Amino acid sequence: MVPPVGSAAIKSGSSDAKAWLLLLPALAFLAVFFLVPLGQVVFFSVMDPGFTLKHYTSFLSDSFYWRVLWGTFQTAGIVTIFALLMSYPLAYMIVRMGGHFATVMLLIIAMSFWTSFLVRTFAWMVILGNNGPLRAILEAFGWSPAPQLLFTRFSSTLAMVHLLIPFMVLALYSVMKKIDMNFVRAARSLGATPFQAFHRVFLPLSAPGIVNGCTLVFIMCLGFYVTPVLLGSPREQMIAGLIGTQIEEFLEFGEASATSVILLLVTLAIFAIYNRFVGLDKLWG
Amino acid sequence: MNLVLAFALVVALFVVGPLLIVVPMSFSTATSFEFPPPGYWLGYYRAFFADARWTQPVINSIGIGLATMLLTILLVIPASFAMVRQRFFGRSAVNLMLMMPMIVPHIVMALGYYSYFSHLKIIHSPLGVVLAHTCLSVPVSYLIIAAALKGFDRNLERAAMNLGAGPLRTFWEVTFPVLRPGFLIGGLFAFIHSFDEAVVAIFISGQAASTLPRKMFDSIRIEADPIISVVSTLLFGVVLLAVISPLIWRVVVKRPV
Amino acid sequence: MTALDSRANSAARGMLAGENGTMTKAYLEIRDLVKSYDGWQKAVRGISLDIQKGEFVSFLGPSGSGKTTTLMMVAGFEKPTAGSIRLGGREIAPVPPHQRNIGMVFQNYALFPHMTAAENVGFPLRMRKRPAAEIAKRARDALAMVGLADFAGRQPRELSGGQQQRVALARALVFEPDVLLLDEPLGALDKNLREHMQVEIKRIHRELGITTIYVTHDQTEAMTMSDRIAVFSQGAVEQFAPPLDVYLRPATRFVGGFVGDSNFLDVTRGTDGGLTAAGLGALDLPAPEGDRFHGLIRPEAIGVWRGGEAGEHCIVSFTVEALVNYGDSVLLIGGGHGLSLRARIPFVQATDIHEGNTLQLAWRRRDMHLIPA
Repeated sequence: MVPPVGSAAIKSGSSDAKAWLLLLPALAFLAVFFLVPLGQVVFFSVMDPGFTLKHYTSFLSDSFYWRVLWGTFQTAGIVTIFALLMSYPLAYMIVRMGGHFATVMLLIIAMSFWTSFLVRTFAWMVILGNNGPLRAILEAFGWSPAPQLLFTRFSSTLAMVHLLIPFMVLALYSVMKKIDMNFVRAARSLGATPFQAFHRVFLPLSAPGIVNGCTLVFIMCLGFYVTPVLLGSPREQMIAGLIGTQIEEFLEFGEASATSVILLLVTLAIFAIYNRFVGLDKLWG
Repeated sequence: MNLVLAFALVVALFVVGPLLIVVPMSFSTATSFEFPPPGYWLGYYRAFFADARWTQPVINSIGIGLATMLLTILLVIPASFAMVRQRFFGRSAVNLMLMMPMIVPHIVMALGYYSYFSHLKIIHSPLGVVLAHTCLSVPVSYLIIAAALKGFDRNLERAAMNLGAGPLRTFWEVTFPVLRPGFLIGGLFAFIHSFDEAVVAIFISGQAASTLPRKMFDSIRIEADPIISVVSTLLFGVVLLAVISPLIWRVVVKRPV
Repeated sequence: MTALDSRANSAARGMLAGENGTMTKAYLEIRDLVKSYDGWQKAVRGISLDIQKGEFVSFLGPSGSGKTTTLMMVAGFEKPTAGSIRLGGREIAPVPPHQRNIGMVFQNYALFPHMTAAENVGFPLRMRKRPAAEIAKRARDALAMVGLADFAGRQPRELSGGQQQRVALARALVFEPDVLLLDEPLGALDKNLREHMQVEIKRIHRELGITTIYVTHDQTEAMTMSDRIAVFSQGAVEQFAPPLDVYLRPATRFVGGFVGDSNFLDVTRGTDGGLTAAGLGALDLPAPEGDRFHGLIRPEAIGVWRGGEAGEHCIVSFTVEALVNYGDSVLLIGGGHGLSLRARIPFVQATDIHEGNTLQLAWRRRDMHLIPA
C-alpha cells in the first residue's frame, strides 16, 4: 500500500535535510548563474549610476516605445490566432483519422518542430526574397511589380505562424488524443448533428489544449528575437528586437534593462493568469 | 469533413514546404538567395567543409552542447529525486525556481548574461555559454527526468532490498540502470536545447566561442553568405534522419518477426 | 539433490523439531503491532498474530484494511509505530529489509526489467556474494522448479503475466528465505491462470515447507490455500482461524458477511431465557452468553421443504421475489414472516420454482451460527 500523502509528518526532520542536500547543487547553480544575472537586469533598470526611475519614465513617456509594445502585442495576437485556426483542423484530423495519415502528419510536425528556428527563418528569407518564388508567382499572375515582401511586418508574422504551428499542433493533439470518441458517438446517438456533436462536445473537451497552445505561442511570440530581427521591418521592431538594438547599437544598458523588466513583467503576468486559472504545471503536460 | 481534411493537408503542406526549399538552395550556383536556382553544383558544400569560420562554430556548438548536457543532468538528477520522492516545506517554491529559466524570455537573460559575464570576465568564452545554457536547459531536462522518476515502480527498489541489496547497491544495481534511458533523454534534450539556442549565444558567445546558431544569424543578417543554405540542409538532414529512423527501424527490423 | 531439495528437507526437519518440543513458541510472532502514517489515524491498530513454522497463512480483507501495511512491516518497508515482530525468537523491527532474509513476491511482480529471468533469480545470490557457478546452478534449479527452465535468457517483458509470476516466485525462494510473503500475487492474472497458479503455489509450499504469508482480498483464494486465515478489517484482525472455522463459525458479523454469502437474523433472548428470532419464534438452540446475537445462516444451508416430519428443521414460508440462475444452482431472493432471505438450491430442485411463487424453506436448527451482537 502506498503511504498516504501525509506520511512525511513523522519523519520530516531527516527527510527535509535530505531533500535540501539533493537540491543544493541545482539551486546554488541557478542562484549564481540565473538569479544573479536576472537580478542585475532589474538592478540596472533603476540605476544611472545612482537610483533613478528615468529609464522607466522615458520609456513610458515616449510614444515610440508604446508603439513597439502595442505592435508586439498585436503581432503576438495575430500569430496566435492564425496558428490556432490552422492547427486545430490539422490536430483534429490527426486524431480522427489515425493510422498512416496520423503517422505522416505527426512526422511532418516533428520534423518542423526539431528543425532550428534559424533554418526555418532562412527558408522564409528565400521564399519571400526579391528573387524568390513567391514574388515570381505573384508576378506571373499579373501583379507586377509584386510588392516588397521581405523585411515587412507581413514576412515576420507569416514566418512566426509557420515556426509556432508545431507547438500549437502538439499542444492541441496531446489533449485531443485523450478525448474519448464515445462522447461524440453518444452525442450523435442522442440526436446531435455532426456539427452539433463537435461544437457541443468535442470542442469544449479540447478547450484545455486551446488554452495551453495559445498561452505557449503568445508568450513565445512576445519574447521572439531571431525571426522578427531577421525578417521583420527595421522600422516596426518588436520588443525583443528593441532590447537587442539598445544593447548592440546604443549600449544603453539602463534603457535595455528597463525594457527587459517590462517584457518580463508582461510575461510573468500572463503566466500568473494562466497559473491562477489552470495551474502552471499543466502547461508542459 | 472532406473540406476539413483538405484544409488540414494544406496546413501540412505549409508546414513542410518551406523546410524542403533549403535543399535545392544548397546545390545552387547562385551567389545570392535566388529561387529557383539558376544551376546546380556542390561548390558550397566544399566551401563549408573547408572554411574554419563555419566548421569552428560547429565544433564549438557540439562541445558546448556536450558540456551543457553533462552539467545539466548532474544538477537535475539529484534535484529530481528530491522533488519526486520527498515531501518538504517549500517544495512548490523550488519547483517554480526550477521552471523559471523556461519562463523568462531569452532576450532578457541575454542582457543579464552580457553584463554579468563581462563582469566575471567569462564573456565570449565557451565557459560562459555553457553556464548560461545549463541554466536554460534545466527546466526541460527536469521535466523529462522527473517524469521518468514518477513512472518508476518503487516496488523494484523494495524487491532489491528484500533480496538482500543494501541502499547503495539498490541504487546502482536497480534504480540507476532502470532510469538510465530517462536520464539520457533528459540529457539529450539539454544538448539539443543548447545546440539550437540562438538568442543568448548571439550576445555572449562572441567570435571566439561563436556557436553555430550565432554564426548562422550573423551570416543571414550581415553577409547573405550562400553557405548558410548548406548548413541549413545539413541540419535539416540530421533532423529528418532522427525523426524518420525509428520508422525505418520498425519497417526494416520488425518485418521478419 | 538440488539446493532446493535440501532446503525442503531442512524445512521438514525444522517442522519435526517444532513438533517434538518447541511447538508452544510461534516462529513468527507479531505483537500489538501499530502503524500510523500521520501520528493520528492508525492504518494498523494493535495486531497480534502467532504464526507457526511451515504454516501457510492468508491475510484476507478488503482494500485499506491494513493487511498490506502489516505485510510491509514484516518485510521491513514500513517502520512499525509500536509493537514488535519476532522471527525465530529474534526481534526484527530494527533489522533493515535487506538483512531480514524474507522472500517477497510483489503485486506487480517487480521483476528487474534490465535483467533476464536468470539474472533476476540470481540477484539475491549475487547480493549474498555466492560464487558465480553456484549462482548459475541455483538460479537454473529455481527456474526449473517453477517450470521455466527454458526461459532463463528471456527479458521480463518477453514473458507472459503467469511466467513473470513464476520468475518472481523463483526469485523470492532461491535464497532460502525464512519466510515467504506474497502480496496479492495473482491479482493481475485471468481466472484460469489464477487457479492454476494457486495449485502451483500450494505445491511449492508443500515441497519446501516454508512459512508463508499470503495477502489477498479474494476469499476463495484464502479458503482453498491456507492453513489459517487472518481476516482484516479497519486495521484490526477480526478472526485468525482455519478456513472452515472462519466460514462456519465466524467470530464477528463482518467476517460472516465478508466470507461467503450470508443471511443474518436478529436473535434475542426472550423473557423465558430461550432464544427467539424475529419472525421465527423460539429457536430451540443452546444459548451462549449474551442477550443479542446475529444469527447466521448460509444460503446453501437452506433448502426447499417438501413436507414431512419437521424434526430439527426450522421451516418458514417464503415468497420468491427474484430468481438468479447460475446454471448449477439457483439463488432465490425473497422473504416472508417479515424476514428477508437468500437461499441457494441445486438447479435440479428449482425447475418448478418461478418468481412470485410462495413455498416453504427449511434449514437445520444447528446450521445457524450465533455471533454476539
